[in-house]
Amino acid sequence: MPLTHRGREIIGRLPHDVAIGRGIGCEIVRHEELCVGCGTCAKNCPSGASRRGDTFDVNQLLSAPADSRRGALGAALQRIARHAPAGVIAVPERVTVFRTIFYDEEECLGCGACARNCPVEAIEARPAVVPAAPAAEATS
Amino acid sequence: MSGAGVEAPAAKPAGAKKSAGKRGGNAVKPGGGERTIVAFCCHECAYAAADAAANARTSLPPTVRLVLMPCTGRVSPLHLLSALADGADGAMVAGCLEGQCHYREGNFQAIDRVAFVQRLLESVGVEPERVRMFTMSAGDPPRFVAAVREMDRVIGSLPPLERA
Repeated sequence: MPLTHRGREIIGRLPHDVAIGRGIGCEIVRHEELCVGCGTCAKNCPSGASRRGDTFDVNQLLSAPADSRRGALGAALQRIARHAPAGVIAVPERVTVFRTIFYDEEECLGCGACARNCPVEAIEARPAVVPAAPAAEATS
Repeated sequence: MSGAGVEAPAAKPAGAKKSAGKRGGNAVKPGGGERTIVAFCCHECAYAAADAAANARTSLPPTVRLVLMPCTGRVSPLHLLSALADGADGAMVAGCLEGQCHYREGNFQAIDRVAFVQRLLESVGVEPERVRMFTMSAGDPPRFVAAVREMDRVIGSLPPLERA
């Protein structure tokens, strides 16, 4: 999202390594394995970068760690499964969790509203990474 | 019939015990003819109907295990799937008639969750009929008995559920 005139002015006054990319913001790290798919992040997202889908990829259940909520369901499903999941299924309207959350990094402002509101702390808002920082930190 | 009639009252304490020990798994012998169906019953309707059916000495299939729920809205996909994974061949959810939920819309949530679990099962190649939702009123024990017998018939016609 483009910054306003005033925003650009403020950024101009900051040390150059604070202003990154197209604005100032947190680095949003999503821990998909902890996500329950409730869509609270999407509800609170001001830019529409997070979107709550109407579908669910069953493979997400099986790849979740065993001690997570999705993992418990995945473990039960794995025990009775006859073959690998066929893929994406539609989620009925009143099933509020178990949805795939689509996150578009390009749209993200880095405001951290999703991380503040996530009920299971699956989203982390880290301090912005300066482009000159070590590559391992920047790409994680 | 009198011998079978004694069964129905006995099913209730078994169901109550089952809810406590469900996680431990009550594994059915693989390949055996015996099937197990876990019935999650709403306290307001289906369990009352089951109670009335038992008082009337109606026999229930011996395969069914009743689990008392405060409302079918409490039933989560994990309840249904872990019942199947831990030894049941089928799971049924019995709740109030549509629009008559004691908590307004718990049964609608249950209907959608059951549909979700059916799609989950379908995607991994398990028959979706193994999980089913029934609705009934508290004053309609024959409908409860018919639902349980229907479930028993469907599960009986399917092969025992194989587990990894």
